[in-house]
Parts: sequence; structure tokens; C-alpha cells
Amino acid sequence: MRPFSFNDFLFILDATRWTIVLSLLAFVLGGLLGGVIAVLRISSFAPARLAAAGYVQLFQGTPLLMQLFLIYYGLSLFGLRLGAWTAVTIAYTIYAAAFLGDIWRGCIQAIPKEQWEASRALALGYLHQLFLVIMPQAVRIAIPPTVGFLVQLVKATAVASIIGFVELTRAGQLMTNATFQPMTVYPIVAGIYFALCWPLSVWAQHLEKRLRVENVMGRKK
Amino acid sequence: MAIRLCAAFCAAVFACVLAPQAGNAQALDRILKEKKIRITAEVTSPPFGILDKDNKPTGSEIETARQLAKDLGVELELVQVTGPQRIPALLSDRADLAISSLSITTERAKSVWFSSPHGALSIVIGAGKNVNIKSAADLAGKKIGMTRATLEEQVVPKVAPPGTNIVFFDEHSATQQALLSGQVDAIGGAAFLINELAKRNPDKGIETKFTVMTAFYGIAVKPGNFDLLQWVNTWVFVNKQNGVLAKIYKEHTGVDLVDLPPL
Amino acid sequence: MTYVFQFGIVFDHFPQLVEGALLTIRLAALAMVFGLIVAVICAYLRTSGPKPARALVAVYVEAVRNTPFLVQLYIIFFSLPAIGIRFEANTAALVAMIVNLGAYATEIVRAGVQSVPAGQIETGLALGLKRLQIYRFIILFPAIKAVFPALASQFILLLLGSSVVSAISANELTAVANTLQSTTFRAFEVYIVVTLMYLAIALAFRALFAGIYWFVFIRGRT
Repeated sequence: MRPFSFNDFLFILDATRWTIVLSLLAFVLGGLLGGVIAVLRISSFAPARLAAAGYVQLFQGTPLLMQLFLIYYGLSLFGLRLGAWTAVTIAYTIYAAAFLGDIWRGCIQAIPKEQWEASRALALGYLHQLFLVIMPQAVRIAIPPTVGFLVQLVKATAVASIIGFVELTRAGQLMTNATFQPMTVYPIVAGIYFALCWPLSVWAQHLEKRLRVENVMGRKK
Repeated sequence: MAIRLCAAFCAAVFACVLAPQAGNAQALDRILKEKKIRITAEVTSPPFGILDKDNKPTGSEIETARQLAKDLGVELELVQVTGPQRIPALLSDRADLAISSLSITTERAKSVWFSSPHGALSIVIGAGKNVNIKSAADLAGKKIGMTRATLEEQVVPKVAPPGTNIVFFDEHSATQQALLSGQVDAIGGAAFLINELAKRNPDKGIETKFTVMTAFYGIAVKPGNFDLLQWVNTWVFVNKQNGVLAKIYKEHTGVDLVDLPPL
Repeated sequence: MTYVFQFGIVFDHFPQLVEGALLTIRLAALAMVFGLIVAVICAYLRTSGPKPARALVAVYVEAVRNTPFLVQLYIIFFSLPAIGIRFEANTAALVAMIVNLGAYATEIVRAGVQSVPAGQIETGLALGLKRLQIYRFIILFPAIKAVFPALASQFILLLLGSSVVSAISANELTAVANTLQSTTFRAFEVYIVVTLMYLAIALAFRALFAGIYWFVFIRGRT
């Protein structure tokens, strides 16, 4: 057992890099997919709506660890030879898209019907209605819960350590193994997550307060 | 409703599987063409795979992998896996070879093809010196930890008397931590691992209690890769004769390599 | 090489899977009950308690909500023994789940508490009720009714999140799945069946919560 040295701390910080990269990748890619899901969810075309609803139900209603296992072990059965990064990114993207799609769908539906009707009266087509009138307003409402979800996503990346993916939590495991000082290592790991997440949480709360003060079309949310 | 969609999802999955698959190019040719071979690496299984003081992977199996890649003339990519993932990584094509102290058992041979053995290990029960275990019978009433998908997982339950509480962890680091933090009374594992654990934690007084069995371990390939298996067997034969395997083994385990029978 | 699915192997081991599922359900149910109790107490301390108590609860909530459940679990199972606190695997899992759920539920219940109209509280004060009595008799019921859906969602998240306790050898459903996978190597079949089992358990809990809501808050009331 060697004492917990500065080198080991650097190893943990280095792995934090991967936590951040994975979180951002999943957030951006999941955001793109989530946007599609959100739009499908409000479409009048029933099969699209049901498919999107089913997608959200499936990935919000099953454990993330199971989703990880299935994609990590299962996807290769279809002839795909995926590296660890690809498999994990796909899994977290799918996970993020389910939650973000649901959040954004809620925000779109929170925009009063009158907005749709007014823009229709101005002879705007569906896509113009959606992207020029509704989205800008929905985005403002969506920012606080979206930032809140980013916090959830960063914490969720810890689960990838169980399949051996080297990120912050796994680095903690490896360092605990090398030094056997769990009372030092794991609290440090927790501290780093806190340092990553808490500023985002505070920002999300701040955004939410600001939103409640400002009105949307004279209506308090 | 979610159930119906799950059913649809599963149906789509089945459909994809029944669709014609891309032909599996001969593995060895593919590796030579891509100039890269992917080999599993378990870094929490001393002395077979560890992180050195600069936190770089090394160990007897990882060095063996490096030697093999060098002799094949290709670049090595180490695929980091946990114990239970060694075989799945192979079966799901995330790795071409599994060189991670996979003991040769008939059970595993149902899923993978083994090369001739290139090393040997023994499975022991290890515990602190205050724990009174002299033989399998003393395991009763105690909590024994071990890692899933290992040889000890297969053999220790067979010798343990009823009343033994066996708990499973997903990988070696958790099993080791469980012993060191007193969450289990004893653990089953390779003798080398127990010795390494004892050496690294002198204040815990860990010692080997008794040997459960000895086994040879070999290199595993995915079933179907004849050409790769043939090359690996040739490589093992050559490096048995020229003493390279014995050298790597002795360097990391401190023990002389026994005579390795061919498969 | 086409893969031959063999679900039969999974169904041969179904009794073990059911045993694992029962532990998952038991852990989740216990954690929900005790987590809610923790939340009710902490929400009180946070809104009406003395200043140090408020700060303590705030620190607890923020610390838990900004760190991953898995790391909290590792600290409880691997780190605490170093200072003499040792929990057995299933107990450690339960403790971690209660601590984790308690923090999230505290925030949810607090939001509910703060949504109770001030008029109600003033009435209580006018009637000479003490703070604790006001909390118990006037605030709690409408507060929980208001945030029941949010609480139910959080409970389901806890149930699904409990799958990671397999990492500390608690032998719930995911752990059984892992053991099965490591002996049969039928990863895909095992994990699909187990995922569907989790889905079924989650749906069952949702139905249970809907029933509880009706029974406690709707039945026999206007």
C-alpha cells in the first residue's frame, strides 16, 4: 500500500476530464435527439407521437445501468464493433435524449395555445410557427430545467465506472485499490463531483427565480 | 403501453439479427491489414495486470500481450476490462484476444476457444491472521467474497460447506476492498493476488489459508477464428521453448513457471 | 456470424431472478418509507427550525444532490469501516438509498410546505397552536398532496437507481443478472429480460402510488 501521493490525485483529476467530455458529448448529442423527440411528441401524426412517447417511457422507466449493459454487450451482436467510448456515448445520448425530450416537450406545451393561433392567423406554416414563434419562447422556459438535467447527467456518468469505463469514479476505485485509503479517496472524488455540479445547480436555481419574476405574455408561470 | 412498445422494440431487434450479417473477414488477416490487435487488459488483478507507480498498465499478462503484439508486428491496443467482462469483450468483438489469466475450464470452453496454456495459478482462500480457517470445513458461517466470472467463482462454492455465505462483487478491486475494510471475513482468489494484497497491506496481516485448486490459464479467442488461434498456439509454443514466457512470468510473479502441457 | 438467441437459459433461472426482484422491491419500499420520514423531518427543520438546524439540512441536501449515488454508496460501504462503522451489503444499500432519497424528498416536501396558503398557518397561530402542531395538523397533509406526483416520480427514480447497489454485492435483481450473465455469457437475453422486469416493477409501483393517492387524498373527501 503506497500512501496517497500527488501523482494519484493527478490521476483522478485526469479522469475527471473524461467525465466532463462524456457529459458534454451526451448533452449535445442527446440534446439534438431530444429536440427531435420533443417535436415528434407534439406532432399530430399519431404513430410519430406514440413512438416518441414510447421511447421516453422506455428509457425513463428502466435503469440506466441496464441500458448501459444492453448497449455495451448487445450492440455488437449486430455486427457492430464498437469501442468503449462509442458504446458509452451512445448509451448516455439515448438516456439524455429521453429526459431532455420530455422536459422540452413540457416547455413547448406550456406556451399558451393563443400563440399557435395568432401565428396561424398570420398565415405561418407549421414549421414557421414552431421555429419562429413557439421555440424562442419555449427555450426561455426550458433553460432552468435543462441546466438542472445537465447536473443529473454529470452524476449519471458515474455509473459507467461499473462497466470499467475510466472516468472519475473508476479512477477513485483504482486509486483506492492502489493506496487502500478509501476514507481519503472517495470523499475527494465526491468533492470533485460537487465542484462540478454545485455551480450548475446554483445557476439553475438562479435562472429559475429570474424566470418566475419575468412574465411571459403578462402571465406568471 | 410501454410494454407494447418494448415488444415492438424487441421485434425490431430480432429482425435486425435475422438480416444477413456482413461476412466475418478472417481475423488474422484483418489484424495484419489494420496493423492493430486489441487485447483485453485487467488492471485490478495483481500481478497479472496492475497499474504501476506512474499509473500505467503493466503486469505479467499485459507484458505478455505486449510481447505478442510485437512478435506479430502490429500495434497493441489494450482494452481495459473488469473480470466479468473478459469473455464478453471477446465475444462482442471489442477485443481480438483475451490475455487476462483466463483459466482453462470446460465450462468456459463452451463459449471461447483456448490456446495451449501459457501460465499457471492456484486459487486460494485468503484472510486476516485472526480469522481461523484451516480447511474448507472452516468456511461455514463465514462470509466469503469473490469476483464474478472467475475461476474461484466456479470452484469455491463446490468445496464450501453449507452455511457458508458467499457474496459476489463485480470486480477484483471491490473484492479486495471488501476484505481490507472487513466487509467480508475472507476472499477467494489467485494465490498471487492474495500475496500481493498481503504485501501491500502489511498491517492487515493477510495470509493464505488453504489452496482450493491449481489451474493453467491460456489465451482465448472468439470461436470461429481458426487462423488467429493457430497463430497464437504457434506463438505460445515458440515462446515456451525460448524461455520468454517464463521470463515474463518470473519477473512479475516471482515464481518459476512450471512445465506447461500443450492443450 | 449470426447470433442464436437462447431465452430458454434465462427462464431456467427465473426463480433466482424473482428472488432478486423481491429484494429490489423490499429495498425500494423500505427506502421510500424511511426516506419520506427523513424528508418530513428535514423539511420542518429547514422551514421552521432553529438557524443551525436549517444550515445543517441545507448542507445535507446540497451535498447529496450534487454527488452521484454510486459514490455515496461506496463511501458508506468502503470508507466508513475505516472509522469503525461497518454495514453489511444490503444494509449499506438501504442506508445509502434512504440518505439519497431523503435529500431529494426534503426539497420536494419543502416546496409543498411552502405552497400551503399563509392563511391556513395564520389560522393555526390564531387558534394558539404551536409550530410543531401547525406543521403536523395543518401543513403536512395539503403539502404532501400537492407534491405527491413529484414524490412518486422521485420514488421511481430511486427504484431504478437501486440497480447500482449490485456493485457492493447486494444481491438484488441486477446482481442476479450479472451472475447469470457471467456463468452463461448470454448477456443480451439476460439483460433484456431483467430490463423488462424493472419496467414491470416500476409500472406496478406507479399503479400503487395512484391507488395510495386516491385512498388517502380523494376518497371520502370533496
